[in-house]
Amino acid sequence: MLSLVKKVSLVSALAAGIFAAQMLNWPIPGGTSLHFVGGGLAGILLGPHLGFLVLFIVLLVQCIVFHDGGITALGANVLNMGIVAVLTGYYCYILASKIWGKSRKARLIGGFLGGWLGITLAGIVCGLEIGFSPAFPFGVAITVPVMGVWHAILGVIEGVITAFVVDYVYLKAPYIIPYLKSGKVGYSGK
Amino acid sequence: MVSRKTLFTVIVLIIVSPVFGVILADAVGYHEPLDVAAEMLNLEDITEDINWTPFLDYTVSGLPDVLGYIVSGFIGVGVILGLGYVLKYLVSRRKYEA
Repeated sequence: MLSLVKKVSLVSALAAGIFAAQMLNWPIPGGTSLHFVGGGLAGILLGPHLGFLVLFIVLLVQCIVFHDGGITALGANVLNMGIVAVLTGYYCYILASKIWGKSRKARLIGGFLGGWLGITLAGIVCGLEIGFSPAFPFGVAITVPVMGVWHAILGVIEGVITAFVVDYVYLKAPYIIPYLKSGKVGYSGK
Repeated sequence: MVSRKTLFTVIVLIIVSPVFGVILADAVGYHEPLDVAAEMLNLEDITEDINWTPFLDYTVSGLPDVLGYIVSGFIGVGVILGLGYVLKYLVSRRKYEA
């Protein structure tokens, strides 16, 4: 097992990496943008609890230091990206590892599904939040499909990046990635 | 605490980031979708009134947007790594005391 000190180091390293990756905000003509979120990746690499901590740190720094996201939306952002995306990534990877074992196929498919479905579900939950908001005139019948479809399309990129990063980390630092036979994800190896 | 390779990757990402976050964003006239929606609903934008940070929206007063974006990236990473060091210190101390 990795020590708690080592885990803290990995949390801050991953948080710094995700923060930097999120700054590559690719604007798309028509009014939306695309950037890596990293919730699924954090869930896969560090498990649900530490994965949540990673995204929480990123979102907190963005909100407090750069006024990005807004203090009143912090809770919603943490729910969407820190809980929904992280848990989805984690469980997708668990599922893939149960089906394909300790293979590269499991890492790539599990990583892709974790990243793609994580961001898609996070978008759908965000659509629910906006749709239920009394300040917004459109209901969930509109906001959920709009958010869900856009995130499902753009989320393919998130899935591809997540898959390749998971695979790369496994090859370079396999002790970080789950010991698949144990069925646990995040620091169960070595 | 962070490997050289990780740090190098983060530095490259930050240096490249204004191409997307500033230059292309200006080229296509990008605004946050929810900000656009709020504007269409005639909701009042109070960001400037309640702003507490000198680095609002990844800018640095007195610096061009591109440079400000890069400096903001380094500030953000610095704060995150600083938090990591504090957490690591607290964890180490707890372990020592136990």
